[in-house]
Amino acid sequence: MSKHEKIEKNIGLMGVLVAIVISFAGIVEIAPLMTQASVVEPVPGLEPRNALELAGQNIYVAEGCYNCHSQQVRPFVDETLRYGHYSVAGESVYDRPFQWGSKRTGPDLARVGGRYSDEWHEIHLIDPRAVVPTSNMPGYPWLADTPVDIEETVASMEVLQMLGHPYSDDEIANAAASLTDKTQLDALVAYLQDLGTAMPKSYQ
Amino acid sequence: MSNFWHWTVIIVVVLHLIAYLWLLFATSKKKTEKRADNTTGHVWDGDLREWDNPMPRWWLWLFILTIIFTVVYLYLYPGLGNYKGSKEWTQINRFEANYAANTEARNRSFAGFINKPIDQLIQDEQAMLIGQRIFANHCAQCHGSDAGGAVGFPNLADDDWNWGGDYQAILTTLNNGRIGVMPAFAPALGEDGTQQVAAYVRSLSGIDHDAALASEGEAKFGMFCAACHGPQGQGLDMFGAPNLTDDIWLHGSSDVIETALYEGFNNQMPAQQDILDENRIKLVAAYVYSLNQR
Repeated sequence: MSKHEKIEKNIGLMGVLVAIVISFAGIVEIAPLMTQASVVEPVPGLEPRNALELAGQNIYVAEGCYNCHSQQVRPFVDETLRYGHYSVAGESVYDRPFQWGSKRTGPDLARVGGRYSDEWHEIHLIDPRAVVPTSNMPGYPWLADTPVDIEETVASMEVLQMLGHPYSDDEIANAAASLTDKTQLDALVAYLQDLGTAMPKSYQ
Repeated sequence: MSNFWHWTVIIVVVLHLIAYLWLLFATSKKKTEKRADNTTGHVWDGDLREWDNPMPRWWLWLFILTIIFTVVYLYLYPGLGNYKGSKEWTQINRFEANYAANTEARNRSFAGFINKPIDQLIQDEQAMLIGQRIFANHCAQCHGSDAGGAVGFPNLADDDWNWGGDYQAILTTLNNGRIGVMPAFAPALGEDGTQQVAAYVRSLSGIDHDAALASEGEAKFGMFCAACHGPQGQGLDMFGAPNLTDDIWLHGSSDVIETALYEGFNNQMPAQQDILDENRIKLVAAYVYSLNQR
């Protein structure tokens, strides 16, 4: 029996060999990026999110906003004309998990910070059609009546500090006080208003 | 990329290319026994057999061509570790070149009308079409795609203006943004005072109101409201204080007068000068201005 025939007739052996061949692509294409992620420097002026913004980010994830909104302006002319300066890796170092997304049912949010007033965001999150009649975004009215989960937010700050986010112990100690009487709506708006503000608003 | 990964990538890629070529030639040289009936000798289901023909030539050539393509590609473009490729191509370089070309093309198409005086600019069909598209992209979320506004966000298609409706005022609004604050008067007016002033404000627009309450509210209006809204309630562009005599209500209807007095309002128009370039701000300002000149 030739070697070739042996491989062809033994599906287990063939599977192992195929996996080995494919893993070479992984070594070349994936592994270098995994080690590169840790050497990406934050862009100048980028701060880890404060307690309220972090609570907002957790709500953003919990409500599944990433299912319809990306946070990644690609370096194409039309995207930069519409959304602003293209995104760079150094902007996402404090996003855990990152919210780049992969689908745009709604617009990209990477540079939404400062684009609209807080009042607009509040109205729009509660009932999007109050300001954009043709919007197909669902309303999130309960955010306005639900308090921020203070314990959870403090816990996630502690975990992020452990993972290397430069939170000071003071910041964590004061987090609970800064979240008193805040609703989930306040937190989400604070998070949205912070998005993309470490870079120029537009590419010109 | 660290030196280690730089060389790992290069070595793995180059060894692969060599291995493919070796595989191709080694297997094509190997002589296999030809059976008399030119089949592989496999028989399935009693009568199914397969021909033992050599690989088609075009397929072999395609294989070699892809390898040549790879070598040329890896020479021209980045792919081998930190090697930048002879063309020094990056996506940001490409973007910058595209953006410069696009800016030039935009400026070329704007050149025909951008320096016209405003009265002629709003007559230029192309300019207004472009202005409308910019409006749809950057302004419609608050002011509506027809510029008709929404509750809390002013209608730009009527001739009622909070910050002035001439072209220069619109440009200033767009460039620098506006912050309109209606303070909360609950501490100053109390429950009764709020009712009285609200009745007086309704009387200014000629809406149904309690005349007795309104006459009591008049003095309080003079004391607390006239500084921004003017002694007759006709509004003041300097503070963005709306005209209260025209029955046009920024926050939906006259039903919110009590809320406005009691809790106040914060309105903000975000500045656009960091978002849009000068020409596009000019065009969208002209478009908004044109809505009232037809």
